[in-house]
Amino acid sequence: MTVRLVCIRMSQLQPQNQLQQTSEPPLNVQELQFWLDKAAAWGQADSPDTRKDTCLHLSRLKDYLQLLLTHMNNMSSTTERMKTLPLLGQFLGRLCWNPYVTADATGRRLLLQCLWGLYSEHPGNALERKANQWIRKVLCQLATEEDDDAAALALMKRMGVSPKEYHLKVLKMMVALLQENIGKSCRSLVDLNQRCSCDNIRATSEACVPLVTCPEAALLIGALLQQPMTCVRAALSQDFLDALSSAYSSQCISLEEQAVVSLWYHNLSSLEDAVLSLLECVLTNTGSTPQELKQQLAQSLLPKACAQHCSIFLVANDIFRSFLKQTEGNESVKYLIQTFSSCFLRELARLQHKTSGSWKALFPQSPQSLLVPLLTRPSEMPREAWKHHLNWLSGSLQTLTEEEEEGDGDGSRSTRGHHKVFEAWFLLIQCAHWVQVAVWLLVTSDPEDCGPLLWLLTFYHHPTNRGHHRASQLVHAKEAWDHLHSLYSVSSCPLPVDRLQSLVTLLSPQPERPSLSPLFILNLLVNFAVFFQQSLSGSAEILQTVVNRSGLVNEAACVLRSLELRLNEDSCLSSDTNRVHLRINALQNTLTHMHAASDPAGNQAHAHINAQNQTAVSSSSTPPGSLQNDK
Amino acid sequence: MEAVLKNLSSTAELLAVASQSGAVAQWDKQTLSRAFHWARYCEHISSRFHNNSAIKGIMEKQLQFTNQSLRAAFPGYTDISFSDLSCCQHLLLVGLLKNPELPISIMKILFDTTSPVNNQQSDYQDVTGFCSHIIQCKSARKVLSPLTDLSAVGADVEVQGAMLMERLAALLSQESEACRTEHFLDSVLQGGEGAAGHFCLVIAAALLTTKISAAQTASQGFLLDWLQKKHSVLQLMCSALPTTLLIDLAKGHLQFRAAYCDVLKKWASDMEYSMSEGEWVQPSTNRTVSFKRLTEHFLALFESCPSLREDVENDLNALNISDGDFDVKGLSVWGDLLSALNK
Repeated sequence: MTVRLVCIRMSQLQPQNQLQQTSEPPLNVQELQFWLDKAAAWGQADSPDTRKDTCLHLSRLKDYLQLLLTHMNNMSSTTERMKTLPLLGQFLGRLCWNPYVTADATGRRLLLQCLWGLYSEHPGNALERKANQWIRKVLCQLATEEDDDAAALALMKRMGVSPKEYHLKVLKMMVALLQENIGKSCRSLVDLNQRCSCDNIRATSEACVPLVTCPEAALLIGALLQQPMTCVRAALSQDFLDALSSAYSSQCISLEEQAVVSLWYHNLSSLEDAVLSLLECVLTNTGSTPQELKQQLAQSLLPKACAQHCSIFLVANDIFRSFLKQTEGNESVKYLIQTFSSCFLRELARLQHKTSGSWKALFPQSPQSLLVPLLTRPSEMPREAWKHHLNWLSGSLQTLTEEEEEGDGDGSRSTRGHHKVFEAWFLLIQCAHWVQVAVWLLVTSDPEDCGPLLWLLTFYHHPTNRGHHRASQLVHAKEAWDHLHSLYSVSSCPLPVDRLQSLVTLLSPQPERPSLSPLFILNLLVNFAVFFQQSLSGSAEILQTVVNRSGLVNEAACVLRSLELRLNEDSCLSSDTNRVHLRINALQNTLTHMHAASDPAGNQAHAHINAQNQTAVSSSSTPPGSLQNDK
Repeated sequence: MEAVLKNLSSTAELLAVASQSGAVAQWDKQTLSRAFHWARYCEHISSRFHNNSAIKGIMEKQLQFTNQSLRAAFPGYTDISFSDLSCCQHLLLVGLLKNPELPISIMKILFDTTSPVNNQQSDYQDVTGFCSHIIQCKSARKVLSPLTDLSAVGADVEVQGAMLMERLAALLSQESEACRTEHFLDSVLQGGEGAAGHFCLVIAAALLTTKISAAQTASQGFLLDWLQKKHSVLQLMCSALPTTLLIDLAKGHLQFRAAYCDVLKKWASDMEYSMSEGEWVQPSTNRTVSFKRLTEHFLALFESCPSLREDVENDLNALNISDGDFDVKGLSVWGDLLSALNK
């Protein structure tokens, strides 16, 4: 079900050329008769059955009113409208007295718009004059008629309470009484033979279908969503959940945070909707900065909800997994997943669910041996242990991939092997803090120690070994590292031209040969520029030259921004951090100055990268000093 | 003070124009907002001074004076009094909506459904969607009422009871003239047809409010004292209200319990034995309760307040003895009552 949704939504992310309706469905007079009969039946008797029926049909009725409105707007006069739809007046008249239609915000709006549609500014005949009079009369009655409450209002007038104030107070009192009833769960019953009043909950939720947008009912709706739900009879009406979900997603109402979380917990489709909306929003809005993305995720309430309910996380994660597979490791998707995971894990820590036992429940499909090693944050481990830890991780992943490749020969095992490697890679993406540490460590490593780290990063960027390219990718990775290391170690200018050129070549992939992700190399380059013990001017010059020649100025700026964000977030106030900040700022300035005079020859490389990765925001590196506060 | 009186007059004139004059055809959103602003001002004045009989009197005079001239200017004019001021916005709205000259654009503003609802009682309240909100409120009430109708006292009556308590507390908090509070309660009774019956229900709700403050306890006490003097109201309460409510009242207030008993005994003492019907009946001029019903009242009372039984039975016994203490049905209402109660 989830994957299908993802496919549907994916197709909707395609440029909007299809799916535009060119004409509205034609008007069917029999349909009007159907709805008129319904409205008449609802008005006749006020029984639980008619109320149920009304709530059941409310959404479709609103769609029909919208259709009517569209058709009415296409006609030029009231006379024409009344001629085409003779039952229209009767129908609208009946709906005016149906509280379910008038309580609902959309229902009321559509109904009133239909009435205005029948009003003629300059009535041309008796029919139109009569229609005008009728409309004024109905509206006056709706707003001011007080037959039901005549005695009460007369009394209230003596107390100095106006009709509007009175209605509002009574409504609030009703909401308070209903809220009280919900609070009493059937566990508090002394006599177990007594029938519990939990059926009220279902009936109340049904009655709230037209009230989801009514501000006075918000507390009641919140109470309904958050009640313990221990009794079988205390289930919420599906129509209620659907109405709430659609009102929330079209932003007609605001719910309390906990109410939203409860809504998602009870209603799978509203949760899926929320996750897919988030994905859609983030992936179509590629211009946002890392900071903006983080805010967007926090505002969506999804990380918080995932932290509170394992089931919510499993659904969200499943959707992310499908997206990742469908987009074949798209960089934006990877980045989103990383950021989401980091928000989620932070919320989880806040709720103090730190026991390792819970990891298995949250990540049932991941290789169990990798769970704790990957999910433990670098800040929870002494810095000296990082290298060993990463070597271990690299080794484990390597073993996993080798098992998969062995299994390729034996057909039955291969799918399982593929699955395991994918899940390991998915988990690695979610725990990208280790990837960032790996990049940082590479800056200060000796040539002999690079192997495992380079392998890890190559795997991160190229999880599948299609066409057995991994061997050559590893070679290129080592080459890139060598070039960078020697470029930055050399303190004299002019810079070695051959090294520079080789690096640029590596960064500008040719379609014919299998290549290493330029983002991998770029990330490494930027980290070298920031952290290698070289003068600022020297580093800046190397960065500038390479970036300029390969046409990756924007991408490099992005990487620097992500790095800065990481530093800001997880800052510990050591002087080391300040120095790094200054360095990053200086490098950013260098890049901005270059931007005006960007090298047109490098645009080829630029375009190629964009085609591959849609966004150039890659995983960012963080200096270890800042990870100490990473909780 | 002068300014306030002038404003009152102006608003009365405004109301007249709104409902009677074709000048509304020229109104725009600003005019509309200003009109409602003035109506709100009058509501404020009303709540500020309704306890101050001196100032209220002055304002009443002013209004009468204004009424005179407006009556001359507008043939269909209805007088407005001080008590109308508390519902000034409503009056304005009714007048406008009934005025056929009101531009449809103004109506569209009042019935606008797009703006979010502004519930704050701030000075600046947008008039857009004024009617839309009213409709939403009334409809929401209707939607929820089947769920809340289960209790004996509905949400609407509870609110009215709460408002009564608030008003009583406000009146009582003013040291002077406790009889004014009595006068207020008396005037409510005379409110019109069916007002007394409705008021009984509200009084019951007010007396049954459980979460009360010290001020409200005083209000309840005052209400009970007043009831004690109003036999007709007590009788109406005992005959019209559901037994469950009466029992709750008896359980909650000793004073009411005693009064309730007295009413029941009074009813019994007024009864005569009818040969044709073979039963004790009230005099034909005032038939509110049957013998059977009377018995039910007593039984319900005994069930909820068992301590009462002995005392009441003793009283009835004494009365029966004074009637001759015969064992025959139809001779003494007290004897028959006793045997019915002990069946």
